[in-house]
Amino acid sequence: MWKTIVKKELLETIFSYRFPLFAVICLLLVPLGMAVNEAAYAKRVRDYSDQVRLADEAAAAIKIQDIMAGTVTIRGFRRPAPLSVFTQGFESTLPRYYEFTQDGFKPGESASDDETILSVQGKVDFVFLVQMVISLIAMLFASDMISGEKESGTLRAMLANSLPRDTLLAGKTAGGFIALWLPFLLAFLFGAVVLMLGAFPLAGGDTAVRVSIVFLATSLFVLIYFTIGIAVSTSTSKARTSLVAILIIWAAFQLIVPRLGDMIARLVYPVRTETQVSLQKSLLVRSLDLEQAKDLGRQYDLIFATAPKGAADDENSPERKKWDPIRDDIQMRTREKKSQQLGAIDETYEQEKRRQLNLAVNLSLVSPSAAFARTIADVCGTGELERARYLEAVRAHQKALDNELFSKVKRTLMIHGGGQMSMGFSAMPVDASKLPRFSIAPTTVAETLRANARSLVSLIVWLIAPFAFAYAKFRKYDVR
Amino acid sequence: MEKQQPILKAEGLSKRYEDGVLALDRLNLEVGPGEIYCLLGANGAGKTTTINLFLGFIPPTEGTCLINAIDVTKDPLEAKKYVSFVSENVMLYGNFTARQNLDFFARLGGKTALTKDDYYRAMARVSLQEKAFDQRVKNFSKGMRQKLGIAIAIVKDAPAVLLDEPTSGLDPKAAAEFLDIMAQLRTEGKAVLMSTHDIFRAKEIGDRVGIMREGRLVMERTRDELRNEDLNRIYIDYMESEAPAAARRTESAEARD
Repeated sequence: MWKTIVKKELLETIFSYRFPLFAVICLLLVPLGMAVNEAAYAKRVRDYSDQVRLADEAAAAIKIQDIMAGTVTIRGFRRPAPLSVFTQGFESTLPRYYEFTQDGFKPGESASDDETILSVQGKVDFVFLVQMVISLIAMLFASDMISGEKESGTLRAMLANSLPRDTLLAGKTAGGFIALWLPFLLAFLFGAVVLMLGAFPLAGGDTAVRVSIVFLATSLFVLIYFTIGIAVSTSTSKARTSLVAILIIWAAFQLIVPRLGDMIARLVYPVRTETQVSLQKSLLVRSLDLEQAKDLGRQYDLIFATAPKGAADDENSPERKKWDPIRDDIQMRTREKKSQQLGAIDETYEQEKRRQLNLAVNLSLVSPSAAFARTIADVCGTGELERARYLEAVRAHQKALDNELFSKVKRTLMIHGGGQMSMGFSAMPVDASKLPRFSIAPTTVAETLRANARSLVSLIVWLIAPFAFAYAKFRKYDVR
Repeated sequence: MEKQQPILKAEGLSKRYEDGVLALDRLNLEVGPGEIYCLLGANGAGKTTTINLFLGFIPPTEGTCLINAIDVTKDPLEAKKYVSFVSENVMLYGNFTARQNLDFFARLGGKTALTKDDYYRAMARVSLQEKAFDQRVKNFSKGMRQKLGIAIAIVKDAPAVLLDEPTSGLDPKAAAEFLDIMAQLRTEGKAVLMSTHDIFRAKEIGDRVGIMREGRLVMERTRDELRNEDLNRIYIDYMESEAPAAARRTESAEARD
């Protein structure tokens, strides 16, 4: 009986005028979107390779004098995410590189600087198509599955037989979804072929696993919207009412709730901008440097006030022997204070962001769309997880450069009693070829899934809840 | 001669809808094998409610309806194995061919081993032209759809057949063909309950005719009782009378017994 319903639903959908339209949309847009994004990805990889080569050459040419002059800037580039062909996520808004100097790091330009005015329309990537087009079509396909059959009278004709309602509902859901899923599967496979023709590294690392997860999660997402459509269809007696209800629900889940979550989170937990934080840090560094310069000047004046001429330059003079450890101690204390206070600013800023993000994520779980988008972006390496990893890598690299490069030169600025300023330098040799290379630790698939456990649970709940609702409604559905 | 067990039986069957309307009031009705029972009545008289109760689409407020001695309320799935249903506008899948529709509904009716020839025979039996077998149903006339609906009932081969205003909107030729098919079903021993507005055809084909008014069965007569009577006149009398007299019904029943 179940198979009969599945087959009938499958055939009925395939014979309907909607099916070829949907198939054309899928087979055209999905591979096209992938091809366009693959070309953009290939360009970003070429840019990345060129820029990394140039940066390596510049780093190899660093001389100690450059560090002393404070003109050394080292760039650490982020390798473009291959799976950004499926979803752009933060790919174009993340800085392509960070600049590291002895005063800290700052973000470079983002890939969005290369975009044209067409980007304001939104990026047509695979996930966008699934979220904005395929989810809506899935709901529309499901919208008249029950109410439409009631209106046409075929529901009565079917239920005049000894056909259990749960079998009918399950069969219609399965058959309708398979009919919807087949063109989607074909479009995805076609897109994968297009990607492989474009030298996309589909077989590299865990890419194939991630692509499979993208496909499975997307299928699940489409099924969720399909079951929501069926739930609506079992709650109405007219196909037209179902259609209106579906459009409202789709707009709420797709457009309103995810944005509302972010908006509420921003209102409840406002976060300062990167620029504000950066300014705060600069002011702190300047203030600590000034304090250190005054302290050094005061100690220097005390020690060398009565010293014979040339004692400051003579490493063996008793004044120098007294001065050197005092200077080192002051500089070390300033460094520690700087590191402690800058770390505290960073930590506070991160806490603010985490709190806001947590609230936004929790609120957006009310919409399957937001849960889906977050998970897929993380699986594709263009989501929040990648952004956090990038920043972690930047901090670690700054620390490594401080140890290996910037700390090799000590600048001693002093402000003396009369307001006069003097600067002293000491330097150790630097081997530029042994400088650490910037890299971002990859996130494993397991880590990604763990980090998105809430979103995955939300998606599963969103799959079960509408079907359970539809089942409860359909048991008492008036078929007359 | 021993009276045969009825296939369709309503005992004190009542239905009051959520809005308080009493659509069916203590209906007692029996249809035996090889019998055609025609239910007449104006719109809202309770004919379709009776059929909906037999099909388990709505629960009764009181009483029971039995198909093949199985209580529809208690075991609707088992009861519906023994009944076929043909509605006023036979609703089929327009994008399917006649054969595909027949195959689908036959399978729902539990007939999973039928062949293409079986389907063609059933369609030929209801006088559907052979060229229509593999045509999409959306291009069918109402008469053709009705015939296909009956073919579906024939294929299911259930002992009871429920028909809800099946001749409504049919042209005279199609209606005449329809009556022939009904006669065949009677010969095969099917218990047929047909709700209709068509007084003339009810008299022609019905072994018993009942008139319903405001949820009550106000008159029931056999073919023999109606032979020399004007059913049209009786119908109008019952429709125009002040009170839907239970007395008349009793009188009629007594006269028959």
